[in-house]
Amino acid sequence: MTDAVVTSKQFFERARAGTLTAIRCGKCGELALPPKEFCAACQQRAWQPVTLAGDGTIASYTVIRVAPRHHTGEVPYAIAVVRLREGVSLIGRVVDVPLETLAIGLPVRFRPLITDDQTSVGFGPA
Amino acid sequence: MRRVAVVGVGVTKFGKHDRSSAELFAEAARDALADAELSPASVQALYYGNVVGGETEKQLHTGPQAASVLGIPTVPTTRFETACASSHAAFRHAVMEIAAGVSDVVLVGGGERVLNVPTAESTEYFAYASDATWEQPLGLTFPGVFALVARAHMAKYGTTEEQMAAVAVKNHRHGALNPKAQFQKEITLEQVLKSAYVADPLKLYDCCPFTDGGAAVVLASEEVARRRPRAVWVLGSAAASDTMLMHEKKDLARVPTTERAAAAAYRQAGIGPADVDVVELHDCFTIAEIVATEGLGLFEPGTGGIAAEKGWTSLGGKLPVNTSGGLKAKGHPIGATGAAQIAEITTQLRGEAGPRQVEGAHIGLAHTLGGNLATVLVSLFSRD
Repeated sequence: MTDAVVTSKQFFERARAGTLTAIRCGKCGELALPPKEFCAACQQRAWQPVTLAGDGTIASYTVIRVAPRHHTGEVPYAIAVVRLREGVSLIGRVVDVPLETLAIGLPVRFRPLITDDQTSVGFGPA
Repeated sequence: MRRVAVVGVGVTKFGKHDRSSAELFAEAARDALADAELSPASVQALYYGNVVGGETEKQLHTGPQAASVLGIPTVPTTRFETACASSHAAFRHAVMEIAAGVSDVVLVGGGERVLNVPTAESTEYFAYASDATWEQPLGLTFPGVFALVARAHMAKYGTTEEQMAAVAVKNHRHGALNPKAQFQKEITLEQVLKSAYVADPLKLYDCCPFTDGGAAVVLASEEVARRRPRAVWVLGSAAASDTMLMHEKKDLARVPTTERAAAAAYRQAGIGPADVDVVELHDCFTIAEIVATEGLGLFEPGTGGIAAEKGWTSLGGKLPVNTSGGLKAKGHPIGATGAAQIAEITTQLRGEAGPRQVEGAHIGLAHTLGGNLATVLVSLFSRD
């Protein structure tokens, strides 16, 4: 039996609709993304879902130029770890930002990247 | 707990081979047993590292397969998979088995074959060691993972692309002295800096190659080892893990798994970083060597790049790092890498490393990292 507050599947369903969802520990306040059973900070299990604003700044980034199979037609593409306003981070593709303007600290905003059968995390200009 | 020693080592030539990973391991194991002056019948367990055999060779259950190809099919065997740290994880468990008195002689090693598939395909398989839900769908690669570390390190400490390039130049210089290395050719700083970006800021020459190869180590209890004057003693062997996801790391410029595994290994050994004479560490990318030297406490955080640039980690420097050529020049057959690093440290502490010998090396350290910085093994060794 699972009664997880937010499953990965639910995260991506909500992301597809434009909303980022994290979970906050009701005991110690730790914010987590992705969802997990126990709080890594206090080992309790008292999660509440939290809707995130979706804006943040780039904590680190790279431009992939040699890609794995199934992504070779997409190079070059940017991937960044983004520190969100609420303090939790998330990794995603950076789109619609010229590669040469990428920088640590650059403000970006979440947007879902949707293909027929898949939603992934993207970030565009703030 | 009983003392444990390395009594035999074997490594294949690294590079492209037309043999299976099990055959490559078996060649290395044959040499390791000969080096140990032990018969295959003396092996009581095989702990085996193999990572992408299921993908590149359509082969699972690689432990018994490797044992069968070696000719010891009835020996209990288990495959370890901790991404690139697999055979070092296997090593740690073998050490514990002997220390606990369960076995007296355990064979450890690994084999990997990847050059039989195209680069885009092996790049995909290696990326399976990052998260399948959150990272792989983005097209994150392993150069990409370490590029995120490199950017963070550059921003926090001022590390430069030239300093990273100095690691590549140094490890190729060492690799040129190792007849088993995939690349036995020196390169220049300019060649590194002019090579094409793979995942900015990492360029082709910042990256280790794809490699086929095998490596093996024979471990024995004190009772067996004390009759062997070339035995090298295990002072400590520790593992650490951390969250898989790159975005859950608190500080991308540091590797806490390295820091925690090193602290535990030093504690077991009763020594500190200042006691270490020679190091083999996980330089899958040049930045990986820089953050490893810092995490192991060999240099202060933020100074790993300076250490490479000033030659402190070169043969002849104050603390030679990756005398084998490292993953960068020796090559990186991922399932075999940990065992190959331990083989190099053993060779150094025996004083048998020839032109790449570190004079008077007494204490050695091996460090192996797996996946998204999520697994690290650190072991310490002594000549007596």
